[in-house]
Amino acid sequence: MSADPDEELVRRVGAGDPAAVQALVARKLPRILSLAVRMLGDAAEAEDVAQETFVRIWRHASKWRRGNARFDTWIHRVTLNLCYDRLRRRREWVTDEMPDIVDPAPLPDSHPGEEAHRVERALQAIAPRQREAIILVYYQEMSNIEAAATLEISVDALESLLSRGRRALQTMLARDGGHD
Amino acid sequence: MARDIEDNTAMDAKRFAALAEAYGGDLRRWPEAEREAATAFASSEAGQAISRHAGTLDALLDGYSVQHPGKALHDSILRAADRHLVRRRRQRVWWLGLGLAGIGLAGAVAGLALVSIVTPEAGSDHYVLDANATAFGDANPDAENGEESL
Repeated sequence: MSADPDEELVRRVGAGDPAAVQALVARKLPRILSLAVRMLGDAAEAEDVAQETFVRIWRHASKWRRGNARFDTWIHRVTLNLCYDRLRRRREWVTDEMPDIVDPAPLPDSHPGEEAHRVERALQAIAPRQREAIILVYYQEMSNIEAAATLEISVDALESLLSRGRRALQTMLARDGGHD
Repeated sequence: MARDIEDNTAMDAKRFAALAEAYGGDLRRWPEAEREAATAFASSEAGQAISRHAGTLDALLDGYSVQHPGKALHDSILRAADRHLVRRRRQRVWWLGLGLAGIGLAGAVAGLALVSIVTPEAGSDHYVLDANATAFGDANPDAENGEESL
């Protein structure tokens, strides 16, 4: 297993070093926030999740020991779990077995600036497990091995989630003629 | 992790299409073990067509960017960290105080135990001489003289 690039920083945070705390926030906050925003599709809720993730980090930093997972994998898992709590609360829980296309409403016409909104809506409409896989590999730039470890599944299962997720996105985004 | 250890020369259109369907058209996202073979296949006509098709969705996904964290969120997280550090420092001081008190208490208990072990116990037959006692008897003027009465 390769060295964890965050290990030393986390050790310093655990020892109560204020400079390390600032460095960790600067390094991880953009990643945590972008993950939560894309999972939840709600900036305010995503900020709450980011804050809660850091509370967990402060609480566990002094006890954190690298086991099977890297620190980055661990915080992604914490963030995803917090996102799932919120999705459950919103009663938006859908299992991976549900149809890929869950939002039959027509997507808005494509105008400059609206393309991102179309993608956001499509991403929110696919099954959460497929959404997670796409976000981790595509936006969080995790390798297939890291993403599979974060989701606690095999690489083959990850590839299956990715393929189904991308197909679903393609179908939804093509529906309004904006994509072939 | 079977995909990462299998022979990376086994790349054909079917596998290339399956990987493009999962990871998109950018080979940098593909499994490291298959990237080299995929790069070679990508220059073929079939490879180019598959990459082009996958790239269309990639371009749409690229358009969905999220805002960087605001200063308010950043500061709020740092304030929470400060509060946590202060609380932890207080807890450490409290535990240190408790530890010292425990050590003091243990010392006192050990001292008492030592005194009780070292000090001889006063026996019931222990005879205490008083000021009027002599080797021949009690010299007290009021004491009864047994010999004279004989």
